[in-house]
Amino acid sequence: MKPVAFLILSLLPAAGAAHEVLHQIGRGRAVDVTAFESDGEVLSDRPFEVFAPTDGAKPWQSGRTDRAGRLAFVPSGPGAWRVRVVDDSGHGLDVVVDVDASGAVSPEPHAHEALHTLSFVLRPLLGAAVIAGIFFGLHRLRRRRAGRT
Amino acid sequence: MHVPDGFLSPLVTLPAYAAATPLWALGVRRHFGSAQVEALPVLGSLTAVAFVIQTLMIPIPGGTSTHLLGVPLLALRYGPLAAFVAESLVLVLQALLLGAGGVTVLAVNALAMGLIGPSAGWLLHRVLRPVHAGAAAFLGAAVALPVAAAVVAGVLGLQQRLDPSYFPGPLPVVAAALLLPAVLAGLLEGAYTLVAMRLLGRVRGGAGA
Repeated sequence: MKPVAFLILSLLPAAGAAHEVLHQIGRGRAVDVTAFESDGEVLSDRPFEVFAPTDGAKPWQSGRTDRAGRLAFVPSGPGAWRVRVVDDSGHGLDVVVDVDASGAVSPEPHAHEALHTLSFVLRPLLGAAVIAGIFFGLHRLRRRRAGRT
Repeated sequence: MHVPDGFLSPLVTLPAYAAATPLWALGVRRHFGSAQVEALPVLGSLTAVAFVIQTLMIPIPGGTSTHLLGVPLLALRYGPLAAFVAESLVLVLQALLLGAGGVTVLAVNALAMGLIGPSAGWLLHRVLRPVHAGAAAFLGAAVALPVAAAVVAGVLGLQQRLDPSYFPGPLPVVAAALLLPAVLAGLLEGAYTLVAMRLLGRVRGGAGA
């Protein structure tokens, strides 16, 4: 019995090591997304889901945004990764992040992302100016037509 | 209050477009045609103000925020279809320029915030105006926002029942999150509309169709 008991005791540390949680730190591979309202207020502590390009039904990752309204994920491959942030009030985000073969996010920004850089004051004025232009053109058109008849 | 793209399935968005399309045509013909040429500058100005108002977020205790609509004033002044067309234009520009809301959900947002909410306000205004014009304007606009919020909550709740992968929040949670801010913002909407109605009443040519 003694050799058997010795063998069991000598294997115990190995069995313990098999349950040890190891870790590896990777830097510079994650995609981070910040969700915020039009006035700059961030969507903090909101549920989010990330869907891989290969599976649009089951989330690749889910969780809650951090205090700064951010979430991060590490793409396993290239393609269109879908990110959804869902607020109870129906606010939220549903965007596609294009990841290329090197793991980098496509540098081409969407039109509205570029416009987010415009200031809080400029964006409302831009929309108001477009509306004014539309109604100015419509007014002139209608007046001209009314003048003909 | 805007529902963003991706939160509603085609099962909800397509019927909304089917309902909205003839109303857009009717609204444009009735309020933006040659017969209303004199009202167009005022309509345009109020639509531009509505766009600006909707980008100004009002913080609500509890970490959320809301915004006014601006278009109940158009409904009270010119009728619900004028508000519907104006709000639709605002939503199109918000979707295309700012990435807020979205094109697939445009009809749902427009029906809720541009038609159903303002129509409720317009009806209340018509009922109360013979009694007290000021109170009618205030309450008519104040009620439009909670009604619009209730419609948005109902649509999101319906979507959750149909397919929660689009929107997971159940109706009671969504309604609570939307209605309280809308009631508070409704009071501000009422005050804005009351002041604007009085100012417009003094402006020659401000009368609508």
